[in-house]
Amino acid sequence: MTGVGEGPAIEVAGLRVQFGAVEAVAGVDLRVAPGHALALLGRNGAGKSTTMRVLAGVVPPTAGVARVRGYDVRTDPLSVKRLVGYCPDVGGLVPRATPWEHLQLSARLRRLTDWERGARDLLERFELGDAAHRVTAGFSHGMSRRLSVVLAVHHEPAVLLLDEPFDGVDPIGVEATLTAIDDARARGAGVLVSTHLRDLAVRACGDVTVLRGGARVATVPAAAMAGEEGARAYRALLD
Amino acid sequence: MPTVRSWIEDWLTAVTDLRHLLWFRVSTLQRRRPAAVALTVLVVVSVGSATVPAWWPERDPTTLDRLADVVPAYLVALVALTAAAAVASGGGRELLARDPAAVHPISPVTDHLGALVLAPLSAAWLLQTWGLLGITAFLTGPHPAQLVPRLALALAWIAAATALGQLAGWAVEWVRRGPGGVLAARTVIGLGVAGGALVGVLPVARDVALGGPAGAVAAALVGNGRASVATGALLVATALFVVLGGQAAVRVARRAPRDEGRIESRSYAARRAPRSAFSALVRTDRGSVWRSVPLRRGTFFLALAPGAATLVHPVPWATLVVLPGLVVSGCVLLFGVNVWCLDGRGLLWRETLPVSPGLPLAARAWVVAELLLGAALVTVGLAALGAGRPSGAEVVAVAAAIVVVTGQALSGGLRWSLESPYAVDLRSARATPAPPLAMVGYSVRLALVTTSTTMVLASLAEVGRADLVLLLATVLVGWSTVRLAGVRRRWLDPEQRAAVVAVVAA
Repeated sequence: MTGVGEGPAIEVAGLRVQFGAVEAVAGVDLRVAPGHALALLGRNGAGKSTTMRVLAGVVPPTAGVARVRGYDVRTDPLSVKRLVGYCPDVGGLVPRATPWEHLQLSARLRRLTDWERGARDLLERFELGDAAHRVTAGFSHGMSRRLSVVLAVHHEPAVLLLDEPFDGVDPIGVEATLTAIDDARARGAGVLVSTHLRDLAVRACGDVTVLRGGARVATVPAAAMAGEEGARAYRALLD
Repeated sequence: MPTVRSWIEDWLTAVTDLRHLLWFRVSTLQRRRPAAVALTVLVVVSVGSATVPAWWPERDPTTLDRLADVVPAYLVALVALTAAAAVASGGGRELLARDPAAVHPISPVTDHLGALVLAPLSAAWLLQTWGLLGITAFLTGPHPAQLVPRLALALAWIAAATALGQLAGWAVEWVRRGPGGVLAARTVIGLGVAGGALVGVLPVARDVALGGPAGAVAAALVGNGRASVATGALLVATALFVVLGGQAAVRVARRAPRDEGRIESRSYAARRAPRSAFSALVRTDRGSVWRSVPLRRGTFFLALAPGAATLVHPVPWATLVVLPGLVVSGCVLLFGVNVWCLDGRGLLWRETLPVSPGLPLAARAWVVAELLLGAALVTVGLAALGAGRPSGAEVVAVAAAIVVVTGQALSGGLRWSLESPYAVDLRSARATPAPPLAMVGYSVRLALVTTSTTMVLASLAEVGRADLVLLLATVLVGWSTVRLAGVRRRWLDPEQRAAVVAVVAA
């Protein structure tokens, strides 16, 4: 048995999440090792975003186990939040705060020092340097997505959770996001990416887990989901 | 003529669309039973205010004369209120928020009619209306044959005032969206306020304001004129104002909103890193308040308008004690009844920041409290200029009133924010933190609690019992503290917090 602060980056077993009469997650099992990236694929309502929110410490699980670097999300959510960088699937930005103010708030609450240079580099890499001091309410969808990725990665988290990071993002933003995922893996972070874009999931991750109806139906090497053959295999898993 | 037919078709289409939108709003009500109860209460109170005073047993002639004298001023105040509400909210309330409405072909005329339909769902409008109906009934007495036409006249005045106020709201919004619009709109509003001040200080101006239509209608209301003729004239005027308002709404829709664009396109200089986690959260929340058009405009309006009115009509310290309750109740309705909507969808990201959940709650409460206290202090400061020399008990009562009503509004607002969160974007000046019917419920409850509290404090001050003022204030602040502790306890529960996040960030 592994202790806290070590072991798998993400460990999920028998996870269930219930919202009233609706069971959003009905028994998901996942495991992501440090330095590895896992893609979550599945149709709308498959439970991908809810699983992400559980791992980010936002939604408490109804049953099952969800651990981040050995910390239980139910009993020690604060430690989990210190380790995680999370890009939510919707919005995720305070509408009347600027990107720089988002970064300042995150840095202060995470007790980061000397973070400014890295944050500026990230904003430039995601082509948000010119908008760093404008409120996000006026941002396009793609700009908001890119900023959400910046906020998820700027503190170099041990676990990176990216929910639909490529949605509506231009090619330069996609490349920047893929680079950010590679960088995270290189420094030993575990990465979980939820997306509907199978090709990008294959490029970004080593393995793919397919969810259906709130439960895991398969975990396969990403290469098995590539190309036409991968598309057929994926469709077969969805039906 | 084709033009006339097209114009009529536009209005018929608008009426049909309005019906569809109202049906949509009703069918998507989250809490149907409380809404039905609220509507029933509104109808019962309206009928009661229009009938019960007529059969009131004590009818002192002096009181009747005094009431009859204030009717013209009351009628003018009702027009001023509807106009101020429509101007401050940039054209009145929306049947459907701007972003969801953008995908539907909703015409500006439909929008205008929707704003008119929603105008009565405001505590200020309802209280003024109930007041006018009650005064009319009381002055008429238990004579149904006279009461019915006079009540019809009162309702016709209210309809005309509402339509005129809406027209004024569109007109100022059209100016605001034009070239040099912000300055021009402020000039127009300033001229309106100056006109009000002149009515207050110059007898000639007062005679003009109270002697025109208001004077004629007031005379008919107290039995010195034919109510049916005045009612007919007012209904014609209402129809005219509604049509003109529709045309004004069409012209407003051709111009882009100015305030949001200004706020969203400007650059905000980076500030030094905050000293603590709490100050970082407070700074973010303050930015969310002061960079929001409806919140900034509403706060300035509520902080300055009552105080400015007292500069024209000075009030004694006994009345001044009541003012903080009115101002604080209004300010907390700007966003304090749904505090988490300040973050919008950003609440999801904020929830992932590694900080104890009690700290963001404390920061949010701090920002709401400082806004409420600030607005109350500005109002009291302005009102104190003309209020003369206070007694010691009156000073204590005013200070106690500010603290007590702030605690009441804060604890109520935070509790409602937890129990009934809404996904709202406070971007547009027309946005409100909760649906119209919920806002009426909140405002009536706040008005009842804060006004009754401040009236008791004022009564104690009037008899010189500063000790009892302090005792009552201590008890009430203690009760608010207990309720705030309850809110904190519930907010620390991850499941309750997740439920709020799920709604607000939807």
